[in-house]
Amino acid sequence: MSDRIRIGNCSGFYGDRLSAMHEMLSGGPLDVLTGDYLAELTMLILGRDQMRDPNLGYAKTFVRQVEESLALALEQGVRIVANAGGLNPAGLAARLAEVARGLGLDPTIAYVEGDNLADRAAELGWDGALTANAYLGGFEIAQALDECADIVVTGRVTDASLVVGPAIWWHGWSRSAYSEIAGAIVAGHVIECGTQATGGNFSGFLGLARDAAPLGFPIAEIAADGSSVITKHRGTAGAVTVDTVTSQLLYEIQGTTYLNPDANLDLTSIRLRQDGEDRVAIGPVAGGAPPERLKVCVNTLGGFRNQMEFVLVGLDIEEKAAWVRAQLEAALDPRPEVVEWSLGGMPTPDADTEEAASALLRCVVQDPCADTVGRAFSSAAVALALGSYPGFTMTTTPGPASAYGIYRAEYVDRSAVHPAVVMVR
Amino acid sequence: MKAPLGTFVFARSGDKGGDANVGLWVRADEPKREARVAWLLDFITSDRVRALVPEGADLEIEVHPLPNLGGVNVVLHGLLGAGVAASTRFDPQAKGLGEWVRSRLVEIPEDLL
Repeated sequence: MSDRIRIGNCSGFYGDRLSAMHEMLSGGPLDVLTGDYLAELTMLILGRDQMRDPNLGYAKTFVRQVEESLALALEQGVRIVANAGGLNPAGLAARLAEVARGLGLDPTIAYVEGDNLADRAAELGWDGALTANAYLGGFEIAQALDECADIVVTGRVTDASLVVGPAIWWHGWSRSAYSEIAGAIVAGHVIECGTQATGGNFSGFLGLARDAAPLGFPIAEIAADGSSVITKHRGTAGAVTVDTVTSQLLYEIQGTTYLNPDANLDLTSIRLRQDGEDRVAIGPVAGGAPPERLKVCVNTLGGFRNQMEFVLVGLDIEEKAAWVRAQLEAALDPRPEVVEWSLGGMPTPDADTEEAASALLRCVVQDPCADTVGRAFSSAAVALALGSYPGFTMTTTPGPASAYGIYRAEYVDRSAVHPAVVMVR
Repeated sequence: MKAPLGTFVFARSGDKGGDANVGLWVRADEPKREARVAWLLDFITSDRVRALVPEGADLEIEVHPLPNLGGVNVVLHGLLGAGVAASTRFDPQAKGLGEWVRSRLVEIPEDLL
């Protein structure tokens, strides 16, 4: 083994570029390829999938990616680690085994379980929880790799754990190697959002080529002391600079200490340095013992919502808005719990296009009852079409209400959570 | 003189449950960085954020300085209501909040421009 582990990322969310797994495997050398598929609310989407079919509850796009890329990954000896298991890592592992058999391949597949606390939500005091998943660390992933897993799928682990686990495995770090682990947490946090580390969603975009070529996904080369270099495959679009890396580091943190299940990271100890083209070096950092309790992602059903958008053109915009607002509110019976209006921007006077002469008036409604904000709302808006302000038109067609979830963080004693690795053949 | 904050400050923003989160930092590839960072760290306070983002006027706002990264992390508690899916906000995930803040005109010392 070389002194640095080369860990790539090929997904920043459920819905990211499908071809990225193959691009990362064919674009240059890697030791491990990771992918993040789970935002807080993704758990709720997967929960709905699983209600329809108990065999689902995982990120289905990951199966397609593995089907396309498994042969190449095995040939190159690149291990794959992803949290695509969602609410059903066992189900995903079984499906991957089936897919591999169909391809005539025989990978060792492992999954990590123990994060899913939904069955115990009531006893733990989390009323109304549809999903409840503890954020796990990286040691189970490391164990699975140690047991020669070619693919490791997990449920809810922290996004950084997907990188921390492989680094622990490679370097043989102990549980008290807090600063080394904290270094891997930094690297993991930088690459977990995919192309956001390589020029995507970046204020400095004017400095990029900005052509049609898709941005390359990021790679972290992590040394035994936890320091790392962030880079990307040669020949891919985008850039890795101190600014693209800073952009990711200052995002989604809430304070100067970044808490993770395996270590705490002191964000004030991070030092960045440009180390050649598309290479940014991150120095060793200070880490400490992790929190006593684990964070838990809890989703509850919030209620139902709907939205309609009116186009107001030309003169007397405010009066037009006020009239249609009064008309629609009077037509809503019963009145939804939440009725919110917003008027986005005023049109340019004497505009030379109709669009520039227009303002958009948005009405959002929410209610615990689906019917109150369903067609009863959207059809009431449409019914005003010939009997309201001059030039009445809308950007939306009337639709039914949609359910929405509410995420909240809870905390649980470590002793109540039992992560485990299961090997599948 | 008045100039957009984004003249030499970059940003990225997003959501954590019902909280919005903005990173603001001084771009690294230009001169005067040290002086600009000192100015930014001094300039961005909770009250200044309330002035730049009026819809946050009544919210609890935290500003965490990270001079080693040339900027600050700002947390606006409750800007997104009960969270992304529940939010009635125009941009429910606060993805564009950082670019909006960059476009606000602020008083910047001339020698930093």
